[in-house]
Amino acid sequence: MSYLVCVLLFGLMVGSVGVASNPSPYFAAMGLVMVSGVGCGVLICFGGSFLPLVFFLIYLGGMMVVFAFSAALSAEPYPYGWGNRSVKMYVAAYVLGVGCAWKVLLGKWSGFWGGILDESGELLVLRGDMMGVAAMHDVGGWMLVLGGLGLLLTLFVVLELVRGVSRGGLRTV
Amino acid sequence: MTPIQMTFSTMFLLGLMGLTFHRTHLLSALLCLETLMLSLFLATSLWALQLSTINIACVPMLLLAFSACEASSGLALVVATAGTHGSDHMQNLNLLQC
Repeated sequence: MSYLVCVLLFGLMVGSVGVASNPSPYFAAMGLVMVSGVGCGVLICFGGSFLPLVFFLIYLGGMMVVFAFSAALSAEPYPYGWGNRSVKMYVAAYVLGVGCAWKVLLGKWSGFWGGILDESGELLVLRGDMMGVAAMHDVGGWMLVLGGLGLLLTLFVVLELVRGVSRGGLRTV
Repeated sequence: MTPIQMTFSTMFLLGLMGLTFHRTHLLSALLCLETLMLSLFLATSLWALQLSTINIACVPMLLLAFSACEASSGLALVVATAGTHGSDHMQNLNLLQC
């Protein structure tokens, strides 16, 4: 089980290097999808059930979809993948940096590897992270209201940024 | 440092470096920003799960909500850039260059 977590953490590293080396946004979005999928796997290995689900639905299903079709704004005839020479230089630099950092800082790690097992030791329907999110609805109701008002404000910000015709964000169109 | 802490710290630093050493497209810089948010989501979720402080599980949810705000504002800026300059290449954003 701990080998599975090691494989998933390695997948996180590979995906982040793939995004950070700045290929064309088509490929970077694919790297981000892989990173979020593997990140959900890591959270599941540590006993989370609701948070990975929320992550898949909202982040992958909401935000990544919008990024994917916005990648059409950066269309070019020959997009730079990870095999391109300039992108490969960045990938090599990041892999070297991450490898050196891991070698130096992780030479001997402390004993607490992290509980792969659940703390309850029995079958539960309502897991810990779901109870935490329920607490947000119960005790943290005002924070939810603030978040909702912030999202509504962002809607108007986005509408004003994209509007043209002399009163919006675009002055020349 | 434990491997998990090392992983999300390195993810954060990689996203930050990808945002700093941006190349051509504004959208790929925004995707590096999303990597930053993803590493913070992982870090706070693992905090809630590993230390059994389950009230902290609301922090990743609120982080996701505000990160959605920021991503949509960034995408609106990309759309505005593509509207005025024709593409989202970073070298076209040079009005303040002397």
